[in-house]
Amino acid sequence: MIVDQNKINEAVSTVVGYGGEHILNCVQCGACSAVCPGVKAGFPLLCRHLIRSLLNGNLEEIIEDSSSWGCQACNRCTEVCPQGVRPQEVVFAFRRYQANQLAFSTSSVTSQMNLFETGHAVYTDPREARKKVGLPEETPTSAFDEQAKKEIQTLINNSPMGALGLF
Amino acid sequence: MAKVGVYVCHCGSNIAGVIDVATVRDFAETLPDVVIARKDLFMCSDSGQEMVKQDVRDGLVDRVVVAACTPRTHEPIFRAAIEKAGLNKYLFEMANIRDQGSWVHGHDHEGATEKAKKIVASAVGKARFLEPLEDKFVPVTNAALVIGAGIGGISAALELANMGHKTYLVEKRPSIGGVMAQLDKTFPTNDCSACILTPKMVEAYNHPNIETLTYSEVDDASGYIGNFTIKIRQKQTYVDWSRCTGCGDCATKCPAKTADEFNAGLSDRRAAYIMFPQAVPKKAVVDINHCINCADRDIGTLPKINKKTGRPILAPCERSCQAEAINRSIAHNPDGAIRKIEVGSIVIATGYQVMDKDWFKEMAPACPNVITALQLERIISATGPTEGKLLRPSDKEKPRTITFVSCMGSRDEHFHTYCSRFCCMYMIKQARLIKEKYPDMVINMHFIDVRAAGKEYDEYYVGARKMGINLFKGKVGGLEMLTEDKLRVLAYDMESATSIEYESDLVVLATAVELPPDATALAQKLGLQFCGSNFFRELHPKLGPVETATEGLFLAGCCQGPKDIPDTVAQAKGAAAAAAVPLAQGRVRIDPIISEVHSEKCSGCGICIPLCPYHAITMQTYADRPRAQIEMSSCKGCGVCTSACPSGAIVLHGYEESQIFAQIEALTA
Repeated sequence: MIVDQNKINEAVSTVVGYGGEHILNCVQCGACSAVCPGVKAGFPLLCRHLIRSLLNGNLEEIIEDSSSWGCQACNRCTEVCPQGVRPQEVVFAFRRYQANQLAFSTSSVTSQMNLFETGHAVYTDPREARKKVGLPEETPTSAFDEQAKKEIQTLINNSPMGALGLF
Repeated sequence: MAKVGVYVCHCGSNIAGVIDVATVRDFAETLPDVVIARKDLFMCSDSGQEMVKQDVRDGLVDRVVVAACTPRTHEPIFRAAIEKAGLNKYLFEMANIRDQGSWVHGHDHEGATEKAKKIVASAVGKARFLEPLEDKFVPVTNAALVIGAGIGGISAALELANMGHKTYLVEKRPSIGGVMAQLDKTFPTNDCSACILTPKMVEAYNHPNIETLTYSEVDDASGYIGNFTIKIRQKQTYVDWSRCTGCGDCATKCPAKTADEFNAGLSDRRAAYIMFPQAVPKKAVVDINHCINCADRDIGTLPKINKKTGRPILAPCERSCQAEAINRSIAHNPDGAIRKIEVGSIVIATGYQVMDKDWFKEMAPACPNVITALQLERIISATGPTEGKLLRPSDKEKPRTITFVSCMGSRDEHFHTYCSRFCCMYMIKQARLIKEKYPDMVINMHFIDVRAAGKEYDEYYVGARKMGINLFKGKVGGLEMLTEDKLRVLAYDMESATSIEYESDLVVLATAVELPPDATALAQKLGLQFCGSNFFRELHPKLGPVETATEGLFLAGCCQGPKDIPDTVAQAKGAAAAAAVPLAQGRVRIDPIISEVHSEKCSGCGICIPLCPYHAITMQTYADRPRAQIEMSSCKGCGVCTSACPSGAIVLHGYEESQIFAQIEALTA
């Protein structure tokens, strides 16, 4: 690795621009990674390590890494961070950068399609299971409400997500 | 018959964790003349001391043995306790079963217990023969000496002077101010070093109670707390300071050049020079070692006469001096002058030096763009060789990339194992000052760890990150010289486990803080000891941080160990307070554990006189014949004379023959 200040500046300003405003506060203590379920699940570039890579000027180099999509948005990192970095915001900012470069992880495409089609990012068809235990098969949510679905799709199509051309 | 009380201490688990205290107590009870043996968790606690005092008050015991820790720290405590209870405090003996027992025999509980018994038996044996002794007092010279006039010495001197004590402030360089005068700004507030230091320099120099002796060194020291005699060598300046106005004309005319120490060797100064523009006193000095004796005329010889004009051909320095302060015809004594002063206490604040870059062969020391942090300090200082402009030494161009390397010679088995303590902070300060002035400058800092312990220090360090300064965990392994005086930095980022290589225009080494070599000679003259890190040793690392093993000598600042300005000033003021104690009391106590000659037994052979390391023994007439006599204020109680006296005429109080033989008997029983 060479230390290229232009690349460092680009990585930092990109992340800051997408909402990871406090990335420069990081002192690499590692508390965020210690509590991160994504790190426990084996995603290599989450929290501290993602921040370090960005501060070393790596942006394009790590664009295809799927770790950021492993973030469960639990926000424990934000709670434990002693320097107010808000690591989850950095992870999300990096995701936004990835999304804008159309560098999606396959894992993320499914959930986005789910959101578009059912209004739920995480969705499995509940009807069979509900029938088994004697509940009404359909839930009173957007999944079975054509009007609600339409509204959600209109919202998505008119948001930056729509501009990605996934749907 | 003596009534000996024995008190065995658990010292929490320090002693009891190894030694069977109950067994030792039971054994003590069987010893001759022992009337009481007790034990306690902490003998030095209030309740422990009270136990001893009560037994004394009840008339149960008239000799006290405490089997516990070291007499160095605790003997005074127990002596004071029995004195309060009405017993002569010298009727006390300490058995050190911790340092010489449990601590060194932790692996052998049984053996340690047996040894503790012997130590106690020996102490009891001696205690049976103890005699009451009386403290002696001698008057004190109400004056203090402060050696070294950096910020530590200046702070200590001002404190002593403000308490009303005459204070001599001695500095080996031509001006006071020390390293702090060389600094640009100071962390964590970034206030200008000169702006806060120079008023203190002026205040000290003009203080009615302070006599400042610059360009002066301690030549010889003798005496003891309260009454030191110090010979100060005022080095030869070759300039009449009573006339010198500090105009600096001599320095501009002098043709002889040498490296300027004040600019850390980055520029030249003349042989005739004023140390720096804000020097106090602002006086010129002719550095005779670098004087080239203009026109082949040695100093101290008369000038040649110009045959045409008939006027003397003067050297540039003396010709330029309007104040007629330089006269090279005078046969100045090259050794300077000796000034003898009498003081009651001494504060040593001789400071530190930083290691030279040449020690670090892997760091391309031959490249002019590898500099020490003190050199960078001079480069960014407005009074420095570039008047504060950040220009690198090789081509006087502004660097685009600067690299900071921590721990050069510190935390390193090859050089110094200790942390130099303030490098992390001054590197961050330098990086911040540069980044503030030049936001586009690329600054890469490489640390083993960032140590920012201090008020507002960590905030200052995190602030550097927020400013966009690049910090990497991992020490630089080496530098390679490239063309155009650039350097390839071989580093590593431990946080991403990636090796780093890049080109840098300027590399700053935070070299280790250490004692300057001339500190050794001073230590020998004053009787100072060194610690494992090769700084002056304090009396106790926690509870005696300003005192030394020699009473009346106190330490302040980096000569005792690396520390930053706030810590140095705090220690200096502490040292001044401690140094003022004997002066304020007006008299000092002389331990009665000293030798005395029984004149009627003395044969006057004089064997003892040359043996005494403290020159305390003289021949005096007694009953018309010469007899040895010991000056009590000089005697340190070493016992050399006592053991050498062929007539057995000299007794060392507190270590009398009967007492020592009783100890031997107990140990060999």
